[in-house]
Parts: sequence; C-alpha cells; structure tokens
Amino acid sequence: MQPILKNFLDNWVYPSGFSGPGVDFRLRQTERCIPAWDALVTLALKSAEQDLKSGSNEYKAARARRGYAAEGPFMSMKQMSTQILSVTINEQSRYIDLQRMRARQIWDEVKHGQLHADVLLRGGWIKREEELMDDALANTQPKLSYFGMTAMFPHIHPLARAGQHYYNEAMACLGIWATLSVIDDPLVRHQLRSQEAEEMMHFMEGKYQIDAYALTPAEQKPIEEVFDFLLRPWAPEPSRALGGTA
Amino acid sequence: MMPGLKIDHEKCTECRMCYVACREININAVIVSSTSQHLLEIDERCIYPKCTVCLMYCPAEGSIVDADSGKSLVPPPPEVWTENLRWPRSP
Repeated sequence: MQPILKNFLDNWVYPSGFSGPGVDFRLRQTERCIPAWDALVTLALKSAEQDLKSGSNEYKAARARRGYAAEGPFMSMKQMSTQILSVTINEQSRYIDLQRMRARQIWDEVKHGQLHADVLLRGGWIKREEELMDDALANTQPKLSYFGMTAMFPHIHPLARAGQHYYNEAMACLGIWATLSVIDDPLVRHQLRSQEAEEMMHFMEGKYQIDAYALTPAEQKPIEEVFDFLLRPWAPEPSRALGGTA
Repeated sequence: MMPGLKIDHEKCTECRMCYVACREININAVIVSSTSQHLLEIDERCIYPKCTVCLMYCPAEGSIVDADSGKSLVPPPPEVWTENLRWPRSP
C-alpha cells in the first residue's frame, strides 16, 4: 500500500466518533475503496513525475483547465445546489444539518472555480475568465456520472450523495497529496494547498453522514448503490461519449 | 468552568463539521460567535475528555486543540478515539 494512503487511513478514515451500524457499514465500504484509492495514488505520482519531465509549463495550464471543468461554474455550484433539493420537507427534521453541509459546500465550489481561473490568469494563459467559456477543456471532464452530468439532478435519496463524497473526495485528497510530494512549483502548490482543506471537508461530510445517518438497510442501500456504481470493475474508463478514452 | 477544547482560528476553515456533530449528540457546545465573521467557538457545555466526537469529523489539521496543553487533537491521536469514547448510534 502506498504510504500516502496508509497515512490517510490511519489519520482520517479509521477514527470514528460513533459506534453502530453506520460505522460498520462505512468500514465495509472502505475495504472496497482501498484498492482504487491505492491505484489512484500510484497514478497521481506517475502523472506528476511525467509532468515534471515534460520540460514545459503547459501541464500547469492543463491541470487548471481540468480543475475548472470539474469544479468551476459549469459543474460544481449547480450540482451541489440540486443535492439540497433531495431533502424533502418531511425529512427536514432528520436532515437539517445535512442541508447545512451542502449549502456550505456551494460556497466552497464558488471558490474552487475562482482558484483554477486565478492560476490560469496568473500564469498568463488567459486574460479574462470568460475566455474559459469557449474552451472545451475547461468545460468537459471525463469522470463517471456521479461527478458528472447526472450530478446535475438530485439523488433519489438524500444520503446517496454520501457515497460520492466519501469515495471521490478521498480521491481528490489523495491526488493532491501525491502531487504535492512530487511537484514543487509555487503556482501548482498554491492551487493544491488551497484546494486541500476543502476536499478534506467534503470527505468528512461523507464520512459523517454514513456514520451518523446510515443506520438501517434502507438508509445504506442507496449509498451502497453509489459505491457499486463508482467501483464497478467492468467499466474502469468512461466511454468516449462521456469524454473518456474507452 | 472553561471548556476543555478550543478552536485555533489560524487553522480552522469554519466548515462547521464540529457544530454539526456536537448538535447531533445534543451537547450543543459549539456556538456561532457574535463576531462579524460568525466564527465558531466552544463553550462551557463541552464535556471533553468524556466526549471527543467533533475531533473525528474535523477536516482541518490542528484546528481543535486541548485548551490546557495547546496540543493539537486533529487528526485525532489514538488515545481520543478508543471504543469507550464512541457514541452508540442505533436506528
């Protein structure tokens, strides 16, 4: 196992504030996530090393454009807005804090888009953020649909999103730490350091929601279905139609 | 009585996870302060070290500290997440 992943598990994943079926469920799902998380760290390290070897500064712009596509106004603010809608009026008393967490995340997503745009502005790759609206690389991303187009719609169960938070946001943190361990460019490090705290918060949202709320089979099922989707071994790459290479 | 935990505002990202966790277990020791930034604070209702739940869901390294020693409790060291400190949750 990659040391970066082991450190993440020991410090942030295994400590639990509760005991009970939610935590037990989360730890079972964690075992399923670990091979994918480990592979992600290996890939992120390799990718960062290749970027350094390229001898060009273009990788910095490419990283910022990819970040803008996944976290800019096209995707992030809209998708998190819809996830508040998944809590019905009848469910408010149980999920009042879940709504607050998601509302807070919208503010994070506002800043994420600004951060990536700022890297492109400071690096001189664009003169105004609006130029990114015409840039396909800043508006498309190849991630599977729980972090893509279907994220534009509310999940059918308010807890389903916890699976995405737990799995994908852990990936984001691990990718950041792997890249930071290789690249010492100040602009790239600024971008990653700024993003790091908020990705950790979103991971913690998923962890908390599973531990505190996913207590019955009915509450666990929609979350497990998200993990099933995200971890499906038969589709390691998104299709070309979704922007991938498979 | 002074609370046993303190928020380090140099490190805290004001994500509010400590507030959410503390409210869920009905301790309600995390409060929104009267500052214009609405900074979070921990008041005398905190029962640390008998409760450590907020420490398990805080994402910002070093942002909650032991008020007496100033020692960082995030990420939580092993002695604060022993089995007997976990809050049982049942359906």
